[in-house]
Amino acid sequence: MMLDAGGGMSPIDPRLQEALDNERDPGDLPADQQDAYARLMTAATLLSAKPAVSVADRVMAEIRAMPQQLHTGNRWRRAARWLTRPLAVTLRLRPAWTLGLAAAGLAAILLLPGDENGPELPRASEGVAQFVGHFPGAQSVEVVGSFNNWSRGKLHLRDENHDGIWHGDAVLPAGQHEYMFVVDGERWVADPLAGRYVDDGFGVGRQNAVLIVRQASSEDTPQQ
Amino acid sequence: MRLTLSLVLSCVAASSPLTAQSPTRLARVPDAARPAIDSLIAIAVAESLPTEPLVQKALEGTAKGVPPDRLVSGVRRGLLQLREARTIVARAMPAGQSVPEGHVAAVAAALARGLNPTVVERLVAVAPSEPPAPALHATADLMAHGFNADSAADLLVEAHDKGLRGDRLLDVATAANHELQRAGGRTQADALAKVRAMLPNVPAPVTPVTHHAPKGS
Repeated sequence: MMLDAGGGMSPIDPRLQEALDNERDPGDLPADQQDAYARLMTAATLLSAKPAVSVADRVMAEIRAMPQQLHTGNRWRRAARWLTRPLAVTLRLRPAWTLGLAAAGLAAILLLPGDENGPELPRASEGVAQFVGHFPGAQSVEVVGSFNNWSRGKLHLRDENHDGIWHGDAVLPAGQHEYMFVVDGERWVADPLAGRYVDDGFGVGRQNAVLIVRQASSEDTPQQ
Repeated sequence: MRLTLSLVLSCVAASSPLTAQSPTRLARVPDAARPAIDSLIAIAVAESLPTEPLVQKALEGTAKGVPPDRLVSGVRRGLLQLREARTIVARAMPAGQSVPEGHVAAVAAALARGLNPTVVERLVAVAPSEPPAPALHATADLMAHGFNADSAADLLVEAHDKGLRGDRLLDVATAANHELQRAGGRTQADALAKVRAMLPNVPAPVTPVTHHAPKGS
């Protein structure tokens, strides 16, 4: 049977059918039928041949051949492998959102204050405190006080040009603070320039410096 | 069972203000001093006194390596000053008005700086609804430069009457101290008269960020 032009099946020439069935010598066929015979035999050979291995077949074969220990190790080892194994992550982004996020990031970089030029900007209830001390030969000077819970290592002064004048700024809550300098990590010194002092109350006559931080946005201007 | 456990934990937290308030901050306090300091802070809580000055004093003494007995004494002294401050503020406040916690802490700080209770009470009574710290510090600044306490308080009361408020009162003290240091050997009385004449237009600080009282020279 052969397909005719309309898609229906058409009867094959009996001589050609006999040749295909090895009941007739193909050389006895007319020339046009010999061509048809040759084409049909070629097609039959291709169809009967073992199909080539597809890509999918090869991938599946390799997966089947993979070592089985991935599934047989203890759960922590499997978890560790899962955590450290590179995973492909696909992100589906809308261009409009991507551009919006980029714009927001740029705005944050431009608008948020940096710390290159000193301390961060004070809020309404804060002010900037400036500390200066003359400690020639000191290796380190830090400020420890009520504003940092008397903790060491929070506010270090600087002496960039090694002239013994140590200085630093800090944004602090407005109001009264007590503090001392700690020189070289062990010597407690009341700020000689503070101008205000208070006994520290521990009975050895030591005094704390008193600092009053004024609000940076103070509205208490002179009244005419 | 769960309700019982919650109630027990609540009671423990309420009876342990040191732990409830700032466990991380006070973890540094030496074990030898901690029970006593805990008790002092519990007393402050029971008497509705501010506890932050006591916590700060405990942290300060710990940072300075003060021996435990003196550390406890320092915190106890702070508690006594808070009590005295609360009494002063209560006297200065109009009848029926509650005592603000911030006033008590500010007055205790002024007492620690050496202001006498009479002057403190007078300054608080002038403006009971305003934070008293600037006027108290301004007065203490003037006294540190040799001004009489009553004269200093008079100047601050007059400045307040002429409209100066808040940190601007500190500028009054600064101006008086500057006048005192001017060439020509001015007396305290001269300096006070000069500043009184310029009220309320005392000079403001160039950069109103911190206020360090001028050093005597």
